[in-house]
Amino acid sequence: MKGLLLKDFYMTIKYGKTLFLVVLVFWAISCFDDGGSFFLVYPMILAGVLPMSLISLDEREKWVQYSGTLPYTRAQLVSSKYIIGLLLGVGAFILSMATTAGRMWMNGYFSLLEFGTIASLLLVLGLLPPTILLPFVFKFGAEKGRIMFYVVIGLATAIGTLLAGFGFQMQMQTNEFAILFVMCTVAVLLYLGSWCLSVAFYKKREL
Amino acid sequence: MNALEITNLTKKYKDFQLDNLNLTLPSGCILGLIGENGAGKSTTIKLILDMIKKDSGTITIFGKDNQTDIHLTKQDIGVVLDDVGIPEQFTPKQVGKIMEHTFANWDNALYERYINQLQIPKEKIFKEFSRGMKMKLGIAVAMAHHPKLLILDEATSGLDPVVRDEVVEMFGEFTRDESHSVLISSHIVSDLEKICDYIAFLHKGKLLLMEEKDILLEQYGILQCTQEQLAQLPQQAIKGKKVLPYGVQALVQKEFIPDGMDVLPVTIEELFIFMVKECA
Repeated sequence: MKGLLLKDFYMTIKYGKTLFLVVLVFWAISCFDDGGSFFLVYPMILAGVLPMSLISLDEREKWVQYSGTLPYTRAQLVSSKYIIGLLLGVGAFILSMATTAGRMWMNGYFSLLEFGTIASLLLVLGLLPPTILLPFVFKFGAEKGRIMFYVVIGLATAIGTLLAGFGFQMQMQTNEFAILFVMCTVAVLLYLGSWCLSVAFYKKREL
Repeated sequence: MNALEITNLTKKYKDFQLDNLNLTLPSGCILGLIGENGAGKSTTIKLILDMIKKDSGTITIFGKDNQTDIHLTKQDIGVVLDDVGIPEQFTPKQVGKIMEHTFANWDNALYERYINQLQIPKEKIFKEFSRGMKMKLGIAVAMAHHPKLLILDEATSGLDPVVRDEVVEMFGEFTRDESHSVLISSHIVSDLEKICDYIAFLHKGKLLLMEEKDILLEQYGILQCTQEQLAQLPQQAIKGKKVLPYGVQALVQKEFIPDGMDVLPVTIEELFIFMVKECA
């Protein structure tokens, strides 16, 4: 699988230059942005969706068919995308959390709870896009998969709005470590479930 | 031992069916799969490599079912697809590095030798290559891990005649080792005629024939005669005919032709065209 990871690493370097630039700009803004977390979260989301961009390129350049002739299992072909996404995600996570810690230190206070909340939020938001999107992409291909992703997100939003309209409200007590822990655990489990589902889908896909 | 055996292979699509295909490629031989566009050549190759699922039939590679650990079997197979499939931004050097971590038997020195022999620019990215150059890189990659079986899907198309000749010679050289075999599909029949030991004709998903090339060339011939002369020949002698302004040109099986009639040698291309037209 080293060959696949090396290939995706080269692709990320070649095609991801703009993304890296965006991450750097957002990171720089987040250093001076007081309290707002959008600029911290955005690089994580970008890292999360990068595997999908790589798959789109693979399809366009016919690598999908070529990789099917190489001595890799379907599980390895899928896993390489999840692993490259994780590696990039970990990089973005470390960068964002270092920035958060630095900002807290500069402001002369350190709140473990706030630090933990931001870390959990980043983890969940970083894992969520690939968790939802990748199984669709491996099942239907990049283009159709992306459309399916938007359909699911649209449906989820519509259902959420409807529920809110009927008076449902979710009580979030973000000041509790237990909730943060459960949230992160669920996100990681869903990510692993998505990984297994993608492997199952890709095994059946005709290249 | 046979490098490849296909038995009763069937794959159905909405508008196309690969129907009950039987093929055998003995070790040390080159099998040419000839067929028009859409005849089922690429489908056959994808089925062999388990890239698509068969509906029925069996495929064995080096005596092993292709559903069993195909990824390990692929360590001994070199493949060139019609579209090659190498990422556009990669240089041959980067491709070599990826393949070094992909194939257990990857041979950097051999890869370098093929790159030089085929005059492939090392620092240029794949996107900037001509179609012929892309094919050449695909061929170099396919051969640089000491495969026992080469599977080439239209690998000579897009090459200029000089390079095509060179590449065809490389394939011939490859099979001098008796453990090496080649399955090559093409609609450029002249290439296959030069190097193949066995020829298979595929037409609309059906196998028209599979035979040793020399036997085919020995068995069949072209007869030019009048309609009346042709009518006097036994039916089983005539495999196809073309009416010309001055008479008839027929593909005939030589053994049924009476002595004294002048039967001209047939090329594989003529044989294929006659057979396909006869099926139409």
